[in-house]
Amino acid sequence: MPSLIINDQDVRTEAPPGEVLLDLIREERRLTGTKEACREGECGACTVLVGTPGPTGVTYRACASCLLPIGDVEGCHVVTVEGLGVESLTVVQRLIVEHSASQCGFCTPGIVLSLTGFCLASETLCHEDALDALDGNICRCTGYAPIRAAARGLSEDLRGRVAGKPKRVEALVEAGVLPRYFLDIPGRLRSLATRPAAGRPGKDEVLVAGGTDLFVQKPEELREAPLAFLSRRRDLDYVTTHADSVRVGGAVTIEEFRTSPEVLRHFPTMKSDLVLHSSAILRNKATLTGNIVNASPVGDATIILLALGARLVIEGVDGAVRETPLSGFFTGYKKMALSCGELVREIVIPFLGSALFNFEKVSNRVTLDIAAVNTALRLQTAPDGAIADLRVSAGGVAPVPLLIGGLERYHGRKADEATGAAVAQVVAEAVTPIDDIRGSAVYKRLLLGQLVKAHFAVITDGRALR
Amino acid sequence: MKNVDLTLHVRGLSQFVDDIPVHGDCLHAVLFTSPVARGKIRSLDTGRAAAAPGVVAVFTHRDVPGLNQVGHIFKDQPLFAVESLEYIGQPIALVVAQTRRAAQRAARLITVDLEKLDAVFDPREAAARGMIHGQKRVLTSGDTTAAFDRCAHVVQGKLSSGPQEHFYFETQRALALPGEHDTIKVCASAQAPGAFHRHLAEVLGIPQHKVELDIRRLGGGFGGKESTAVWIVAPALAAFLLKRPVKLVLGRNEDIATTGKRHAYQYDYKIGLDAGGNILAYEVDLYQHAGACADISPAVLGRSFLHASGSYRIPNIRVTAVSCRTNIPPNNAFRGFGVPQGTFAIESALTHAAESMGVDAATLKQRNLLQDGDSLPYGARPEKVNALRCWAALDEQVDLAKRHREVADYNQAHGDTKRGLAVLPVCFGISFAQTALNQASALVHIYVDGSVAVSTGAVEMGQGVNTKIQIVAARTLGVGVDRVRVDTTNTSRIPNASPTSASTGADLNGMATKFACEELRSRLTKFAAAHLGCEHPDRVELRDEAVTIEGRRTDLGWQKLVAAAQWARIDLSSHAFYATPALDLDPSTERGRPFAYYSYGTSLTTVLLDVTRGTYTIEAIDVVHDVGQTLSEAIDRGQVEGAVIQGMGWATIEQSRYAPDGRVLTAVLLHALRAVRKDRPLPSLPLTPEQVFMYLHGP
Repeated sequence: MPSLIINDQDVRTEAPPGEVLLDLIREERRLTGTKEACREGECGACTVLVGTPGPTGVTYRACASCLLPIGDVEGCHVVTVEGLGVESLTVVQRLIVEHSASQCGFCTPGIVLSLTGFCLASETLCHEDALDALDGNICRCTGYAPIRAAARGLSEDLRGRVAGKPKRVEALVEAGVLPRYFLDIPGRLRSLATRPAAGRPGKDEVLVAGGTDLFVQKPEELREAPLAFLSRRRDLDYVTTHADSVRVGGAVTIEEFRTSPEVLRHFPTMKSDLVLHSSAILRNKATLTGNIVNASPVGDATIILLALGARLVIEGVDGAVRETPLSGFFTGYKKMALSCGELVREIVIPFLGSALFNFEKVSNRVTLDIAAVNTALRLQTAPDGAIADLRVSAGGVAPVPLLIGGLERYHGRKADEATGAAVAQVVAEAVTPIDDIRGSAVYKRLLLGQLVKAHFAVITDGRALR
Repeated sequence: MKNVDLTLHVRGLSQFVDDIPVHGDCLHAVLFTSPVARGKIRSLDTGRAAAAPGVVAVFTHRDVPGLNQVGHIFKDQPLFAVESLEYIGQPIALVVAQTRRAAQRAARLITVDLEKLDAVFDPREAAARGMIHGQKRVLTSGDTTAAFDRCAHVVQGKLSSGPQEHFYFETQRALALPGEHDTIKVCASAQAPGAFHRHLAEVLGIPQHKVELDIRRLGGGFGGKESTAVWIVAPALAAFLLKRPVKLVLGRNEDIATTGKRHAYQYDYKIGLDAGGNILAYEVDLYQHAGACADISPAVLGRSFLHASGSYRIPNIRVTAVSCRTNIPPNNAFRGFGVPQGTFAIESALTHAAESMGVDAATLKQRNLLQDGDSLPYGARPEKVNALRCWAALDEQVDLAKRHREVADYNQAHGDTKRGLAVLPVCFGISFAQTALNQASALVHIYVDGSVAVSTGAVEMGQGVNTKIQIVAARTLGVGVDRVRVDTTNTSRIPNASPTSASTGADLNGMATKFACEELRSRLTKFAAAHLGCEHPDRVELRDEAVTIEGRRTDLGWQKLVAAAQWARIDLSSHAFYATPALDLDPSTERGRPFAYYSYGTSLTTVLLDVTRGTYTIEAIDVVHDVGQTLSEAIDRGQVEGAVIQGMGWATIEQSRYAPDGRVLTAVLLHALRAVRKDRPLPSLPLTPEQVFMYLHGP
């Protein structure tokens, strides 16, 4: 019987752990401010904040409640729009009103929550972070100009007042972004029936990582199914630096990975590269390992990690651990070298060091869309500027995410436009794309070649093409 | 003044249909629909569904007490299929159960034995076979054949423009509550109170006075909730038969897969200009991809047809238009109502001509813009033409020549990226082209405590019409806006209302409100004059919540005045009616004055192309739009900004596609293909241009 706090109410529910939070909120709790508009995490109308207790306090993240099983928020604080602006409008709400950043109003509660999530999660409270936080909220009425303006106003208002202060929740209560009852939540969560520390999933249990794809695919089956949640594996929630690599625990979300100082120290483009992965409300739940074991031939994180030469640490049913390079992990369309009961417990990513890295993705919509083609490049040059090591990955052009082989022949060549064109040709010839909704085989092959040329243009120019 | 709903929206307190608390045990209805684009039902088995857990009833066409018909213009759309199936998604049966989940599960148990028939998905093929809705329309002005002979430049070509999913955030839905004496109340997300009211009564087989349709607000409409009554009538039928509350809420995929979209069009065009770049002749044939039923398509086509000349002076023109009957879900109204399609053809033709002549398209467009004294192809002579003024205002803001030069310089200097820009004027006739629809009424009550309630036929869907009506009432009565509340749109208070559409909502309903308030004001000032012993009632006014005589404030405040008037048995309630004057269009000659006035605008779009990757970024959009004397700048600005991005979506990333079997592909993919669930691209914040400059243009 899951128990949690919704807004300022303790809630115990009879609903199965696999029921999505949105249904609990709207149907059982009758909190109708949270809207259902797609049930696929694609529109942001059902965005809520999930506050998870941890050693450093309660961490709040904006999530799509339509893909979030109740079992996964057990022992957490869930905030809906009704939990904000209890006595008077919060700063976020006031700015949306001031800028007329709402018309029909159906998407507005989600936008209020995403912007409040930005206030809680962004370290610097800069405008760019505010826009990133909104990238999962579609508005069909306003055309976004006033939403953009409200976000700018919010960032300007809070940067001086809140950024840099040690206790974010307290500072936001003081600033009028959060109501006062937030201050009591950590204590109340502690006295709530404890969050069960899960061990390994049971035999019949379905292991849910972020659930952001699983709950799109089969919400009905999962509703009644016995579930185990990767988010409970606190032992897998880490990003650490070792002598030659960054090690990422299996429970780390895309957003944690993307914004981790450890990651950014060694892979500075990761923050912007993974914005293209998915929207904030999904990045906050989706895990890096989930993206890999989804085995999509075009997964962004997979393609990036392939080029970076990542390795997987896999935990067996008996607790035994083995290590395998990511490049050998995918064995066929949606097939991988992972047996039943095995779990990817860690991803090991060798430092970039002095190597150059670039990620390219083209899809119909610039961001948040499945790529037609994506590709990453890791290039190490010798002191004389010649290529010492070259890795190129490509997605959407074969049944599996590909690491292109046979590029050793370019070792010793200069990393310039001419080499880029030659590599582009080799890569384009190495792939086997098919015609589908995202483009024809001819287009994808051409595009991949162009993107490889773009890799070389970016790394030789030292500038990103727009 | 801003939209009054804003403070509710940000707190999640605005009530939409699915948020209305329902007493008792509300049932949930789910439609079972056609799996084939064309076929014949041999037999239908609903037995297993009816016996499924939680199911209360399964209804088919046999259960319809009245007319099994929801056709909007023609009676060609059965509520439930009888024998013939005309598109994938056509309703066949309605499953009603205790929960939505139970109804959905049971609907999957229905089986239909059918004969599959060949379907048509190509509008040109449909037209060639004579499969059209209504008649082919032909509009001729001048003599194009003779004029083409005099042209120095003639270009021709074929074009097509794609469909567009409305993606109103609130999907189609209604809640039906049965009452005594076989009455029924329906709360719906609907743009057309009058028409849907009539559909409800017809299907239920009861007089309209037994049906109450109530509309608080819509979570977006954009035309998609104007004409197709299926999702409102179906739950009402169930509630009426079962005598229990029934709700129907379409899931997103159901909505995408089974509801109408903006019409795709195909076009054949030919345009001729003289050596000086003046348009002499234009011919265009419009093929509208309408789908299986006429729905509102002929009306949409009519607007494309009447706007075929765009913002331009075209002395010789010939336009033909057919609404093609194909086996896809019937398409319907979408923001612009056919005008974007009509405009697209002439803009493309002119751009084609400019390229062929080697001149700048913007220059060619500017030269041919409508001016006072010009005639439109249907004979109307627009007055106070603002096309050139809008163009000039934009030029003043952005310096078009400088922008052109900058783009040329940039492209000279850059190989891997290129810039481009386009200037586009718009001229949009305001009024329903169907003259009869240009009517509205308002009912205004003043209560003894001084509060004012206004009812009109206008439907609030985020466009702020209720706020505008509130402003009109407050200004006319001389009270603060907080005194006035605009009530729900309700057929028991306002009968026979036209849809809120065609940019007429505030015009028509605002005028009716003004008239009703003027009547009340006149009664109150007359009473006040007598009450205050003033011999000149014409010098008495209501201003700032008080009675004034010759501009001087008296002690008689609004609240006191109202209470005293009521005690003196003055009627504090008024109904008024407005019909736009001097409108007509003769369908036999296609001549007349269908529009009261025209709204003009000009936009400049700047695009950056990435030549390496084959991608583009829309860097900025500058728009000048003529909004006349605005009732609320914040609201009008929001309308224009929203429309710009919606139009950008239509022209760029929004692609509704159909599978070879006529299925709406997006939904199929969402269900069937794991990896492509994000293939529903809509403009999202990161995609929209950072700079949208809006200059509203007053009189």
